Amino acid sequence: MLGIEECLTEVMGIPGALDAILIDQTSGMAVAVGGGSRHVDTEKSAAGLSEALRATLDGLAVTSAAGTARIREMIVTADDGHHLLRPLETVFDGPLVIYVKLDLERANLALALHRLHSLSGRLITT
Amino acid sequence: MPSVESILSGLAGDRATGALRMGRAGTFYLTEGRVTYAETSVCPRVEDLLTASGRISAYAVRQARQGAGEECRGGDRLVERGVLTRGELEFCVLGAVLDAVFFLFRASARPRFRPGERHWLGPQWYFDVTGLLRECKRRRAQLDQAWPSPELDTLPVVPMGRIHAQRVLLTALQWEVLVGADCTATPAELARKLGRPAYSVLLAVRQLAAAGLLRVPEREHRTVPAPPAPAPLPRRDDGAREKLPGRDPGAAPAPGWIPRTTGDPADVSLLIRLKNALEALT
Repeated sequence: MLGIEECLTEVMGIPGALDAILIDQTSGMAVAVGGGSRHVDTEKSAAGLSEALRATLDGLAVTSAAGTARIREMIVTADDGHHLLRPLETVFDGPLVIYVKLDLERANLALALHRLHSLSGRLITT
Repeated sequence: MPSVESILSGLAGDRATGALRMGRAGTFYLTEGRVTYAETSVCPRVEDLLTASGRISAYAVRQARQGAGEECRGGDRLVERGVLTRGELEFCVLGAVLDAVFFLFRASARPRFRPGERHWLGPQWYFDVTGLLRECKRRRAQLDQAWPSPELDTLPVVPMGRIHAQRVLLTALQWEVLVGADCTATPAELARKLGRPAYSVLLAVRQLAAAGLLRVPEREHRTVPAPPAPAPLPRRDDGAREKLPGRDPGAAPAPGWIPRTTGDPADVSLLIRLKNALEALT
């Protein structure tokens, strides 16, 4: 069973991890920060990332036949790296989102996803 | 009277441990100068958030609370018993404290510090005062961005029976708010009922209002133009012809005005048939 800080340490332990942020999706607040994110405006990053997730959910809901959407993880490969977002539902508040940015060259996406799954199962049990 | 912020900063400097009571509004709990818990009468407490979902029994929370003492933190007992993970407890405390602080900083009560008083959960997450103030400011801006008026914050949440939109996208929390709204519960009461932070519910309510899904009182109180009285039916008298409303060619069309179909051969043939029928009667 993990605490928030330990979870962040484990996320940063994923090979190729550059930055990591834990985000409260409802308020768009940065809960905890690790890696290179310490040097940028974390508040803005957290707000921007939760907005990106929200917009994607809206887009998927409109696209899907049922009109609803549930994201397990979102992977965006940009020029500066892979951006992984994994929303974890909690019973008492809107999802807690694990964000990690991975190096394009050094990271292995499949391994990163596997690690994210295993540590999110130890952080949140639903 | 010194502000809450300056009192908290002073206590932080003294590395004080205890409870700062804000009258009836609520309480800040400090551990060695840092805020470790806060609660108000408005927001659901950690125990409310944990038990409302049904995943954690009120009994387990009560036991942890009763077993809590000087050397044993109630929160740690919950984690040790496997009721929830450390991360879940921390995230729950984080949510509850930021929620309470958002409303506590606006309280006008006279603060009183009681040294040594602790919360039964024990410190689970540490907050510094400037960080709390910054987050409150950000949340206030976020609320205003969603819907820039506090008018709905304390009124019962009343969903519209019919809406103007043809299709609506909702978040899971907005759905919960709409399903939970019984037209008498205010956002704070809904938060308690749903077991969700008051701020999250408030934000959802403002977003729903902005989407036109909630009844907004201001719109009803606004002077609604009275519907025009129906024009009197033309009387059959000598001046009837002159009294019939004629259309001013220069006048702008009224709202909802539909252009007449003229020059349609169907109209002409209908008129001819009418004329023939009337002539047949005489």
